[in-house]
Amino acid sequence: MAAQFEIRCTHPDAKYARQAADYAFRVADQLEQKLSRFIENSDISRINHLSAGEHAIVSYETMQCLRLARFMHAETGGAFDVATGKGLESLDLVPGEFLVCAHANGVHLDMGAIGKGYAVDRMAEVLEDWEVEQALISAGYSSVLSLEPPSGSEDWPLTISMPGKGANATLANVAGRQRALGASGIRKPDHILDPRTGKPVRLRQAAWVSAPRRVLADIGRPAEVGSSPAAVADALSTAFMIVPPVEIKKYCCRHPGLEAWILQPHLIHFVNR
Amino acid sequence: MPTKTIDRRDFIKTTAAAGLALGAGSRDAGARASNELRVALIGAGNQGLVLVESCQKIPNIRITALCDIWAEYQQKYVSNRLSTYGHTHNTYIDYEEMLDNEKDRLDAVIVATPDFWHAAHAIACLKAGLHVYCEKEMATNPEDARRIVRAARESGKLLQVGHQRRSNPRYLFCYQKLLREAMLLGRITTANGQWNRSRQDLRTMPARYAMSPETLEKYGYRSMQQFLNWRWYRGLGGGPIVDLGSHQIDIFNWFVGARPSSIVASGGTDYYNRETHEWYDNVMALFEYPTPGGTVRAFYQTLTTNNFGGYYEVFLGDQGSLEISESGARAKVYRDIANAPDWGSWVKQGLLLAPEEEPEPQPQAQLDVRESVAPPSYALPIQLLKPYHQPHLENFFDAIRGKAKLTCPGEVGFETAVTVLKVNEAVEANRPVLFKPQDFEL
Ligand SMILES: NC(=O)c1ccc[n+]([C@@H]2O[C@H](COP(=O)([O-])OP(=O)(O)OC[C@H]3O[C@@H](n4cnc5c(N)ncnc54)[C@H](O)[C@@H]3O)[C@@H](O)[C@H]2O)c1
Repeated sequence: MAAQFEIRCTHPDAKYARQAADYAFRVADQLEQKLSRFIENSDISRINHLSAGEHAIVSYETMQCLRLARFMHAETGGAFDVATGKGLESLDLVPGEFLVCAHANGVHLDMGAIGKGYAVDRMAEVLEDWEVEQALISAGYSSVLSLEPPSGSEDWPLTISMPGKGANATLANVAGRQRALGASGIRKPDHILDPRTGKPVRLRQAAWVSAPRRVLADIGRPAEVGSSPAAVADALSTAFMIVPPVEIKKYCCRHPGLEAWILQPHLIHFVNR
Repeated sequence: MPTKTIDRRDFIKTTAAAGLALGAGSRDAGARASNELRVALIGAGNQGLVLVESCQKIPNIRITALCDIWAEYQQKYVSNRLSTYGHTHNTYIDYEEMLDNEKDRLDAVIVATPDFWHAAHAIACLKAGLHVYCEKEMATNPEDARRIVRAARESGKLLQVGHQRRSNPRYLFCYQKLLREAMLLGRITTANGQWNRSRQDLRTMPARYAMSPETLEKYGYRSMQQFLNWRWYRGLGGGPIVDLGSHQIDIFNWFVGARPSSIVASGGTDYYNRETHEWYDNVMALFEYPTPGGTVRAFYQTLTTNNFGGYYEVFLGDQGSLEISESGARAKVYRDIANAPDWGSWVKQGLLLAPEEEPEPQPQAQLDVRESVAPPSYALPIQLLKPYHQPHLENFFDAIRGKAKLTCPGEVGFETAVTVLKVNEAVEANRPVLFKPQDFEL
């Protein structure tokens, strides 16, 4: 977590829209308190302190997020792993009791690659509840959800670019409207580990995922934790740093509307319209 | 005893209550664990939800009743959350109705309503024979706070005031081990603390969640706007100095181990609109504490236009300084290298974590010349692995079970309330204000 959240929105009453955004930011803060591994008493820190045989009671949101994370782990053949190979299997989740039980020592969860998206989804719910529907939400620019575009526009214009280069190194344009995007990369060196080898990912520079909200929500549906499209995009973009291109291609074929890009070092674009 | 005629309304209410009680009794009689406590919540706002989230993590606590006047929004939200957590409960708009129906099946009540309601709610619960966890600030004036403590004494029930740092293992460790036993700071002469926040708009909500004007008026609010922003209004809250300062000025009183004798304070509504921000948007206050070891002066500041530095408390003595904050990232002791003895033995005893060592010079050298570094700082061997309010609630529940002593009983909360509420008086007076002994009398 520890991301900077940003909301852009249009609304006839700017003050009201600002209040809605404030409310959404408060929701993100509350999630951060539960999901950040950097906060000593967060749910995730408490899980990371468990020894074999111990359990922790976590809050509703943490359990939802863990269930989605576990589902995405299976969905991506283990490529997406909030425990980076260190113990997701050794945790038992008991959803009804909000219990997380550890069967081994040394679990280390980092919800960064799904929690940001999860927070963005919850922020979108706040904005929609407030009827501030023309909005674009971002967590650290890597987890982005576009709702309706500003009046008179078709969409929120978005780009993906060469990492670190920005404006004049655009790789693709994306029309943001009821669409979630996730991005991963290695500008911060060696922070993505291949859970299957434990080694840092170095070959692929970046991966992006983009799809309509409903396509991503459908992918996450079997997790039974409600709709969380940005969280799914977030998790897929991390997985696509690792998954071989042929697998990404197959995955996109199975999910019409889902697009992905990887940079290794040339750009490969996957799409099945 | 006055006789009471039973009218139809009363009659229906009592029979309904009896029916409920029977149903609940027969359903749960077998299930109720021997040390299970049944708790009601009055005030399911932001803090009410935080306390629910903490209670969910404590074994053998059942929240069985929920009261909040905002049926359209907060009550619904928190009620859903309770159901999700498996707490079967009844919901109420009015606290008196809740007490009438539920008191025989309850052990305790958590009061997390706006400050000006605390006295009515806490006293009614105590009179109903229930233990009370009452959020800070106890009241908006010392007299109401005094009445709550008296009601607790008369009822013989427990009253815990919501200054949760009093149960925080890190604060307890600093107080008991570092300040009292090891006297690490030497003679404490000074304290300072702050809670600075960024500029913020007044709270608002989508119109469809508004309460009816009748309900608002019945419970003492002029408008939705005032209801949502009660902290800023005289008679409803006490402004940031009471809302935020209360937590930390409580620590001044506790760690210094004395009551203040006087306050000099300055503040005002300098940034926001005085119509909507009746209380001061910034306050700076200086407290003087007479202690057996000499005078201690403490400075406190709260801003609502810039969050620089966040929130923390610092205690300074002639041998070292302690910096502490509820947020765990900020807890350190600094040794005054000119005056403090070596702290190596405290490190060996496990009271402090070893500071980062500066490398020793080569054996043949007297000195290694280098950039000067900060004086040694020692981290604490204590972690809080629970939500911030959980230990304080646990202390309350354990005290009900006779297994603990309250860390913030009414008497302590009262002294803090008297201290904190005096700051607004001192700002208003614009001159030093002295505490009289009777201010602290119950
Ligand atoms: N200990 C802490 O860290 C901490 C933190 C925040 C707030 N607090 C304290 O908790 C209390 C509540 O603060 P908050 O931030 O949750 O405020 P809030 O405005 O979010 O919530 C107050 C709730 O009380 C309800 N309410 C108001 N009047 C009522 C009445 N007469 N009967 C029943 N319900 C009523 C409101 O509908 C609302 O849901 C305050 O005393 C505050 O100082 C303590």
